[in-house]
Amino acid sequence: MATASVYSSPGFDFSNQIRNNFLAEKGLPLPKATSTGTTIVGCLFEGGIILGADTRATEGPIVADKNCEKIHYITESIRCCGAGTAADTEFVTNLISSNMEMHALTHGRKPRVVTAMTMLKQYLFRYQGHVGAALVLGGVDSTGPNLFTIHPHGSTDKLPYVTMGSGSLAAMAVFESGWKTKMSREDALQLVKDAIAAGIFNDLGSGSNIDACIITPNHTEMLRNVEMPNERETKEKSYKFRRGTTEWKSESIRKLIVSEEITPIGGDAMDTS
Amino acid sequence: MPDMVSIGQPQQRQFNPYSENGGTILAIAGANFSVIAGDTRQSEGYNIQTRYAPKVFRLTDKAVLAVNGFAADGSMFVKKVKQRLEWYRHAHAKDMPLRAIARLIQTMLYSRRFFPYYVYNILGGIEEDGSGAVYSFDPVGSYERESCRAAGAAQSLVQPFLDNQIYFKNQRPPPGTSNPTHLPLHEVLSLVIDSFTSATERHIEVGDGLEIFVVLAKGSTTQGLENFANVQEMTQTREGERMFNIRRNLKRD
Amino acid sequence: MNSFANRFSTTDHLRELKRAQANIEDDEFSDAAWGSEAGFGSLAKGVPTFSVPAVPDPSAFLRLHTDDHADPKCRIKIQHGTTTLAFRYKGGVIVAVDSRATAGSYVASGTVKKVIEINPYLLGTMAGGAADCQYWETYLGIHCRLHELRNRERISVSAASKYLSNLVYSYKGMGLSMGTMICGWDKTGPAIFYVDSDGTRLKGDLFSVGSGSTFAYGVLDQGYRWDLPDEEAQELGRRSIYAAGHRDAFSGNTCNLYHVKEDGWHFIGNYDISKLHYDGPDNVDGAGYGYDVRVGTRS
Repeated sequence: MATASVYSSPGFDFSNQIRNNFLAEKGLPLPKATSTGTTIVGCLFEGGIILGADTRATEGPIVADKNCEKIHYITESIRCCGAGTAADTEFVTNLISSNMEMHALTHGRKPRVVTAMTMLKQYLFRYQGHVGAALVLGGVDSTGPNLFTIHPHGSTDKLPYVTMGSGSLAAMAVFESGWKTKMSREDALQLVKDAIAAGIFNDLGSGSNIDACIITPNHTEMLRNVEMPNERETKEKSYKFRRGTTEWKSESIRKLIVSEEITPIGGDAMDTS
Repeated sequence: MPDMVSIGQPQQRQFNPYSENGGTILAIAGANFSVIAGDTRQSEGYNIQTRYAPKVFRLTDKAVLAVNGFAADGSMFVKKVKQRLEWYRHAHAKDMPLRAIARLIQTMLYSRRFFPYYVYNILGGIEEDGSGAVYSFDPVGSYERESCRAAGAAQSLVQPFLDNQIYFKNQRPPPGTSNPTHLPLHEVLSLVIDSFTSATERHIEVGDGLEIFVVLAKGSTTQGLENFANVQEMTQTREGERMFNIRRNLKRD
Repeated sequence: MNSFANRFSTTDHLRELKRAQANIEDDEFSDAAWGSEAGFGSLAKGVPTFSVPAVPDPSAFLRLHTDDHADPKCRIKIQHGTTTLAFRYKGGVIVAVDSRATAGSYVASGTVKKVIEINPYLLGTMAGGAADCQYWETYLGIHCRLHELRNRERISVSAASKYLSNLVYSYKGMGLSMGTMICGWDKTGPAIFYVDSDGTRLKGDLFSVGSGSTFAYGVLDQGYRWDLPDEEAQELGRRSIYAAGHRDAFSGNTCNLYHVKEDGWHFIGNYDISKLHYDGPDNVDGAGYGYDVRVGTRS
């Protein structure tokens, strides 16, 4: 692959910073990145981890995607929920997923959750918060179930139940009142669903459906749209337009089917049998 | 995330009495009726302050005011308008006509030209000639009579839909016919409901409940109003203009 | 009248507005409580009064919350963007305006009446703050009527425009925004005065105001003559607004056309600018100002 002949330093290019600040001062703000006002949670239970997320993606006050996926794949038994700048969470989890796969192939064994957590925090710290990803990382490895939160600047927490995103307070209220040690799988899933639902209904940045992911030592179950409490009712009216509703200035019709007449010259047609 | 440049520089603080409380209002005028609607969610940032805060208010038997923007200014403004209308009733022994209420609202808004009420008003009702009317205002009092108007958070989602379905913008009528100038009541109500359910889908500040006011001109029939659920008549007498209230649920996420 | 003298006794608008505010607070249950006051709530004492925020610099406060040029996120959007024109010729005055109101890049309305009918002989145009123009030109209408009652004759265009000019000048620096043309027919014949919120007042034959004025001037200057026939004069006004609506993003939708003659103003018509582009004022397919002349011969 051809490379540019000028030297470019690795990492982000900050050369437009001064220009952009000048433009912002002149009243021309930067285009806004899609930020996922989000509720994401994770919770430990007897025998594994459950991660949960809502499915709303927003651009300012506008709902950009009513059913997006916020639980990202890291490895088969490690998953990661993302909040913050949509592009950053998507790319950072993809990158770490690749690196984890390489790690597994290099060392010939399953990588641990702390490995993913360390990779993520070192990556995020390097970019000083400019990679706007707030993550809930959970999985099961040789050491047992592990659950972390990772903040955009690179700090991490290791807790039995965690929440993140704009709906984190609503969800944490549910966890604080309902979480117990050694919960059963059913109870824990219900608690996660309740926590996400609290975010969906009480936080404007979160909405639509509930996704959950149950990770146990030998099985990972991705429950896409386990609950759909916000389906749209049918519209009062049908909005079909009559053909010819849109005005036009000129019209030209081309024939796309061309017919050819073949006249065989020189006796019998070739025997194709 | 703090802006890199602003860190460590002196920051100025100033008097900021305004806030934005989301929500959307909408009014459509028909030939002999007027429909005024608003959602009932009141929010600030990502928080819902209440799921039921009315934004549409009955002023007289034939006038309804919808208020959107900063809720504190809005409720104060409605209170003052109602007070002025009551004074008028005491002085003249009748209700103020709609066009006069519109002018009153202009002068009341403009008297705060240098300290504006942060409110977008839409006034709907029946004119003295029996026609349905909608007046829309900006925060400092410029106003105009129109036949439909949306304002508030989802204005830019709803108004283009209304332009297409009510003014038939970008719609060529079938050959040999013309687009109708006024739609019947049941059609208008369907458009209002669909406007709000759609705005709820795509705007985070719209939802929870929908409150619709319908004002019918003197002597007109109910025009299929009874086919809608949760209709409540608000007028006692059947002689003059009649006013109805329709409540519906909207999605709460 | 005492309040009038009092009103203009100082040019320090800050102190004056504070005093006005004090007036409002004193008179909360004054004349308004007695009824309608002809609809003009704040005009009960002959002079309007305004409340101002209790801050050291009220105009800076207003600018902070309403000036979307400096801060696009400001809360109260005041509508801007316009093309208006008026010109004087032997047959009277032609007044033509567009009908678009914009708030940032959003078209807030496409049906604004930018010609304000002050009375049957006077027209004012609207550019800048819509509320400022509507309110003060309606207010001007009241005073023109009072002039008629007091002096038993109609006010001259010159006097009316000077009244408005002096009025807005007394609010200079407070953040009013208007650029208006006061048009009419008086003893001296057809007259146009340009008045703006800076205090400028100009007499002239031909003006265009607003973001699309340069486009309108282009067409106007090219086709203007004093002895234009009525039909051609109206066509020139319409064509100029079309040009501005076509090229200026902040102008457009429809064109409102007025003709002021000796017997007062006449409303000529409302023309959809996109219809003018394709089909022209008489709605003849292919007779538009813009489309067929550009692409008609091709394709």
